[in-house]
Amino acid sequence: MAEITAAPVLPPNPRFGAVLRAIGGIAAIGVKELRGRMRGRRAFIILTIYLLLLGGFALMVEQIMEQQFQNPFAGASATAGPAIGQAIFAAVLLLMTLQVVFLAPSSTAGAISLEREKQTLELLVTTPISSFAIVIGKLLSALVYVFLLIAASIPLMAVVFVFGGVGPEDIVRGYIVLIVTALGLGSFGLLCSSLVKRTTASTAITIFGVLAITIGTVFLLVFWQAMGSFDATGNRRPGPLGIRTPYPLAWINPFLAQADVLCGTESTFGGGWCSVVQGLAPTADNGVIINNVGGGGVAVPAPMPMPVPAVPEKGFAPGVAVAIDDQGNPVANDVAAPDQPFGARQDTLWPKTVAMWLGMSVFFILLSVQAVSPTRRWRFLRRPRRRGKSPESPESPAP
Amino acid sequence: MTEIVRTEGLVKRYDGTLAVAGVDLTVDAGEIFGLVGPNGAGKTTTLRILATLLAPSAGTAEIAGMSVTRNPDQVRRVIGFMPDSFGVYDDMKVWEYLDFFARCYGIAPAARRRVITDLLELVDLAPKRHEYVQTLSRGMQQRLCLAHSLVHDPQVLLLDEPASGLDPRARVELRELLRELRAMGKTILISSHILPELEELCTSVAIIDRGQVLAQGRVAEIEKRLRFGAVLRVKLLLEGEALEAARDRLAGDDDVASAVLLDDGTIELGFRGDDEATARLLKETVAAGLPVVSFSRAASDLEELFLQVTAADEPVAAA
Repeated sequence: MAEITAAPVLPPNPRFGAVLRAIGGIAAIGVKELRGRMRGRRAFIILTIYLLLLGGFALMVEQIMEQQFQNPFAGASATAGPAIGQAIFAAVLLLMTLQVVFLAPSSTAGAISLEREKQTLELLVTTPISSFAIVIGKLLSALVYVFLLIAASIPLMAVVFVFGGVGPEDIVRGYIVLIVTALGLGSFGLLCSSLVKRTTASTAITIFGVLAITIGTVFLLVFWQAMGSFDATGNRRPGPLGIRTPYPLAWINPFLAQADVLCGTESTFGGGWCSVVQGLAPTADNGVIINNVGGGGVAVPAPMPMPVPAVPEKGFAPGVAVAIDDQGNPVANDVAAPDQPFGARQDTLWPKTVAMWLGMSVFFILLSVQAVSPTRRWRFLRRPRRRGKSPESPESPAP
Repeated sequence: MTEIVRTEGLVKRYDGTLAVAGVDLTVDAGEIFGLVGPNGAGKTTTLRILATLLAPSAGTAEIAGMSVTRNPDQVRRVIGFMPDSFGVYDDMKVWEYLDFFARCYGIAPAARRRVITDLLELVDLAPKRHEYVQTLSRGMQQRLCLAHSLVHDPQVLLLDEPASGLDPRARVELRELLRELRAMGKTILISSHILPELEELCTSVAIIDRGQVLAQGRVAEIEKRLRFGAVLRVKLLLEGEALEAARDRLAGDDDVASAVLLDDGTIELGFRGDDEATARLLKETVAAGLPVVSFSRAASDLEELFLQVTAADEPVAAA
């Protein structure tokens, strides 16, 4: 019978020891997860089918647009290319957002709870691997496949350059939103998985949360806008609960962020996507920004923002934006961003979405680490109140 | 002998119920230490506290001089834990399973390959190296789980009911394996509610009931100290009145508390004496000319001991 060889445990490195150990732990979890996930041809067959479907979808959108431009009385052929490019970009980007929004959280929703159900989590947490490494390793290995699908779509997305109408920076923005959404919703699924014991329950809660984030936020915004709109006399009605529309709700919706990215491909004065974004998450709440051409501010009380009159960008002195309050009186003049005096507000929403989801990912990951950790649960929050925990403290009194 | 595991006044409370109520244990290095007790006695909770999976409500637990609450990371490097019910990653091959845990302990790639080969040989799973874990039998999975707890060459093994659900052959194999591990210098803490399983194997035991240690020490010592009710069975080649006379004669001995004639002709003696007294009684019986066919202590001493101890309301003085 063989002797057990003494296994050399990594020598303690005083400076980077903790970091190296964490990376080693993440790698261990990652290798294990990917061995299970990527074994055989399944993962690659799914990838192929996915790309075929996505390509077929893009082709069909192109065909629809082409059909519209077949009519000799319709738009000039000069605009057909950009229009087709923008349509394909919008269609593929939104389809991929839909895929990310459901695939990322559902692939993490069982990450921890499955280990609990299979009773393997205890084996894992009695190793020196840190809870942080477990959580990050699980998250990354679940998201690797999502990221692979996103990356595989890049060549397909590049087809829009053939048609024009979409700049490389638009595509980069779209992919930033996709990746951050995958990270944010993935860590949301992971949090559910680490808090809830059963995978079925965890998946249900995750999907419900995703629906609330996507459909729920839009519905609430529409509801608030409708309830808080102007009445016949031009006065703004108080919204539900007497509070103004909670616009930050729009920040967490990845589809609205993509609409804002799509707004970036539209002309200076905006189009359909810009009005969707401005309608649900206007930049100035108290009224609408208009170009002050004639001198005196023109206050236009309207629930929806209106496109400003067409003015060449460098034609004459910059106009002054005027915001009005509930009574229609002009208020502070600095509502409009100085660098964008006219036209639709672009890039107002998606940076907020990206920042919001990055922040929430960090929050979700920290909570998950606490939930996975066997003995150090809520250590940061509860330590002072914990009695009998430290060996020095006296025995806690009987309950 | 140096102490390697020590708990003092260990208490674990779950929502008002006491699972562990002040357990003091000391385990010397190189021992096979048995935690014996009925279901729900607090064995698993104690082992889980030692395995850094649970924080005790009060008291201290130390392994190799390190506190399990203050230095859980260091403690995890010297312990190998095998829970009572455990799962295996079924989508992995046997070598991948061990490779994963070796990575968790940060073992370098070259050493990892060597350790996996050695461990698979140790637990007799070398031919199964490339099979999927889900295809292994229960006993093999148990051995694989034991192997996983050995990848980092721990000093202390914490095994919670390792033999549960195993067939008799697998049990014997497990026992052999544990003996081998002890020969390698490992300290083994093993829990069970089945006594014969531990009796042959353990060097020391602690009997636990309702979260308290009722008796603790070397198996022989505990037996000696608590032997206030051993049972001797004597079979003589006699019948009828001669047998009754022999019984009366045995009942007259100072160490014999009671003598009952059973239906099959065996005389059962309630005996207070130790091994020497037992030998003396046998010698005297033979010297008196009684034809002794068999003369034995009742089957499982530890089991009887266990029943006596756990039935008592007052804890028996521990070591």
